[in-house]
Amino acid sequence: MTGEPDIRITTTVNDVTVEAQVEGRTLLSDFLRHDVGLTGTHVACEHGVCGACTVLVDDQPVRSCLMLAAQVDGCRVDTVESLGTQDDLSPLQSAMWAEHGLQCGFCTPGILMTVEGGRRAGLDVRQVVEDALPGHLCRCTGYQNIRNAIESYFAQGVQA
Amino acid sequence: MRTDTDRPGLVGSSVKRVNDPRLLVGRGRFIDDISMPGMAHATIVRSTIPSGTVTSFDVADCEALLVLGVDEIAAATRPIPCVWIAPGQEQVEVPVASRQVRYVGQPIGIVVAPSRAEAEDAVECLAIDLAAEDGVADSLQALEPGAPLVYPERGSNIGVEFPIGDPSELVEEAMASAAVVVSRRLRIPRIVPSPLETRGVIADWNPGLEQLTVWMSTQTPHHVRDHIAHSLRLRADQVRVVAGDVGGGFGSKEHLYADELLVCLAAMRLGRPVKWIEDRVEHFTATFHGRDAYHDARLAMTEDGTFLAIHTSITGNLGAHFSNVGTGPFRVSAVMLPGPYRLPVAGASIRAVFTNTTPTGAYRGFGMQEAAWVRERLVDEAARELGMSAIELRRKNMYRSDELPLVTPTFQEYDSGDYGRALDLVDARVRAYAPAPPASARIRQGIAVATHVEFTGLGPSKAQDIVGFRLGGYETAVVRMEPDGSVFVSSGVMGMGQGIETTLAQLAADRLGVPLERVRVQLGDTGVAPYSAAGSIASRSMTVGGGAVVRASTALREKILRIAGAKLEVSPSDLELVEGQIHVKGDPRTGTSLEELVTRAWLGLDLPEGESPDLECKYVHEPLNISYPYATHAAAVSVDLDTGQVAVDAYWVAHDSGVVVNPMIVDGQIMGGVAQGLGIALFEKMLYADDGQPLSTTFMDYLIPLSSDVPTMVMDHYETPAPHIPGGMKGVGEGGTIVAPAAIGNAIAAALPEIAEQILETPLSPGRLWTLIHKAGLHDG
Repeated sequence: MTGEPDIRITTTVNDVTVEAQVEGRTLLSDFLRHDVGLTGTHVACEHGVCGACTVLVDDQPVRSCLMLAAQVDGCRVDTVESLGTQDDLSPLQSAMWAEHGLQCGFCTPGILMTVEGGRRAGLDVRQVVEDALPGHLCRCTGYQNIRNAIESYFAQGVQA
Repeated sequence: MRTDTDRPGLVGSSVKRVNDPRLLVGRGRFIDDISMPGMAHATIVRSTIPSGTVTSFDVADCEALLVLGVDEIAAATRPIPCVWIAPGQEQVEVPVASRQVRYVGQPIGIVVAPSRAEAEDAVECLAIDLAAEDGVADSLQALEPGAPLVYPERGSNIGVEFPIGDPSELVEEAMASAAVVVSRRLRIPRIVPSPLETRGVIADWNPGLEQLTVWMSTQTPHHVRDHIAHSLRLRADQVRVVAGDVGGGFGSKEHLYADELLVCLAAMRLGRPVKWIEDRVEHFTATFHGRDAYHDARLAMTEDGTFLAIHTSITGNLGAHFSNVGTGPFRVSAVMLPGPYRLPVAGASIRAVFTNTTPTGAYRGFGMQEAAWVRERLVDEAARELGMSAIELRRKNMYRSDELPLVTPTFQEYDSGDYGRALDLVDARVRAYAPAPPASARIRQGIAVATHVEFTGLGPSKAQDIVGFRLGGYETAVVRMEPDGSVFVSSGVMGMGQGIETTLAQLAADRLGVPLERVRVQLGDTGVAPYSAAGSIASRSMTVGGGAVVRASTALREKILRIAGAKLEVSPSDLELVEGQIHVKGDPRTGTSLEELVTRAWLGLDLPEGESPDLECKYVHEPLNISYPYATHAAAVSVDLDTGQVAVDAYWVAHDSGVVVNPMIVDGQIMGGVAQGLGIALFEKMLYADDGQPLSTTFMDYLIPLSSDVPTMVMDHYETPAPHIPGGMKGVGEGGTIVAPAAIGNAIAAALPEIAEQILETPLSPGRLWTLIHKAGLHDG
């Protein structure tokens, strides 16, 4: 391991082309947060258990603390910043707000990206709630309202 | 959600939280989201051994911007004061760094480099020699003859011992006279608070202004500010602490850690901003833990189940030194031991023990979860021994509402409520429950309840002083109506996900007759907020901080109506303030717009004689009493005899936390609290080897509940206003965590009567339960 940023990557982050020189050891999570400046992706455990850092790489949910920045060369990366804006929340974000699906909000971006990835993969609501959501740790909510929000979102007629 | 009183206005309304859109789109501002020009990054160097001495700390081969070792740190700092001092406690402050190491994770140095990765590289190049000695992790083992001594000069590992409540002669007399005494040793293991956001700090020293600005993830900005100033020998006005979004606290961020001081010291030495973000392994070893106590407990009663006395002998694990709160959790276990029951005699003895482990401090429930586990398990065991219904036994012994207020034998002045009603509501829910039959004969089902009264909202300052708690118990609010009619609310309490920014805004908007979106609540900056000694701990933000906002908003409303009354030439008492208009009650055609009145007031115009032009009111709320919410919970569980696996199938809560400001937020607090309690019941335990080497340091070996573990809960609420709190609110942050482990433990005991008397210790993990089931012969045939 050296501190030399000697790997050149080109990646598309939230529809914007990003060219960068990165160290071989730089995690995707650190690259997104500190090099690209997208701090919506949160790092909570850095050992791949909690899911807070989940982003989509070519539409697949991945734990960005378990992936190197060098690995997304040529890939599309989508983060929570791609979903909606404060004035125009996405339907999933609106459902989370309405159902009180977040408290401190630290785990929330990762959960949003997992649900978004599930939608893109054509999962149904049961698969998202029962299989995907338990891949995330939330210490505040007790999950009930997150489940309610996901169900409300899918009930609106999600387009796969 | 149901409440007894539907009232108009924003109080009692489930408005959506004001901060959420920002958090949902990734625009939170958590500590690690902040970056500043020239910022360097720190790694803390920590002891890797439970006990021993730092014999050398050689920085020769270390390429870094700055390295500070134990001796330099010790010379540059004053020890951090303890806050809660027990009678007879000799250790009342803790050195920031010392060559003597007493737990794995103890900070012994700091390394600063241009990036975090380079700082971690540089630590590897330090040559540190540690001379290891024998250590001990368990508090009972630490009391055995010949056990390693954490402080050899003390001659014993006992930190302090003291009694609480009724004297032992009275207790023993009551026990001797009782027909039935249920006696058990119960254990509550060590819990790691585990907010999703770890701790973190950025410090920046301005040499011209001689001011240190510290951005920190903390529940208590002013308290931290005071201790930074003390320890670094600065004046309080030279330190400004700013807390942005806090990604959960649960008690673990309620005080200053040595780590955070090291970062401040490094920033002052380097003259540039320094950031440190705790990693998850550090959270497991360097952030104070919660719980860790043995209780040798007894509940005495007559033949018909009338309770006579309760007592517990607590052996509490302090860890390597007294934390900021020291024996506080053990003390609170003792004073809240009687719970909602009529117990003529109640007492406890506390023995606090040093071990070579991370110090224990605050975690959601603070001693009360332990008390509920001990008391409610004993009550269910008593019901089993007496052959009575556990619900009937509780109902028989609960204080009736007409007995309140009263003072318990452990000096708690229970304020108001109807404890039996919560029990009745849950009982009705349980009776209506029709579970699906078990999938196989090897699945057992059980349902049980647990109940409690809770101590929320520290607290009258004088009462805190009596118990040795050296932080003021008041909160202050500043409420200002700006020249454009918008409202600014400033308070010293802190948001950490509990939604206090929204609920304080509801209180102010409700009193001032303005829409919620016209109110901004500013928290967390000691440069702006009024002084708060204790911050957001002890479920006090809404009761004490909210009470201050109620009073300050009411005073501002009265001032506005006085000005309007003078202008309209009517008595202020005949006016009302509704939706931005001030008019004579019942006559919306007369009156004036609030905004016009406010604009002119700030110009110094239209003011009655003696009225100042500033539309800003401040109120210092010193509560007259603690507030005492209460609840009954019930759990339905299935236990697999062949695996020991527990599923919580259903869960009910009936709860009274006084006036509910936002039912949706209160429900969320309870749901999240119950989930943490479920974690305590079934999964969570910080493990140490016998010598103090930590064994659970990741989320792979310390399990916290997942969505699939937590059932959908059914809740009933009703409201008995807190008589001593403006607005009538009682605290709600901790109750779910306090009583859930006991409800689940009792349900498991009900499912497995063969081993019920051995359900004494959490977590009730598959391994523990399988072993008990196996020993009881339930795997034979």
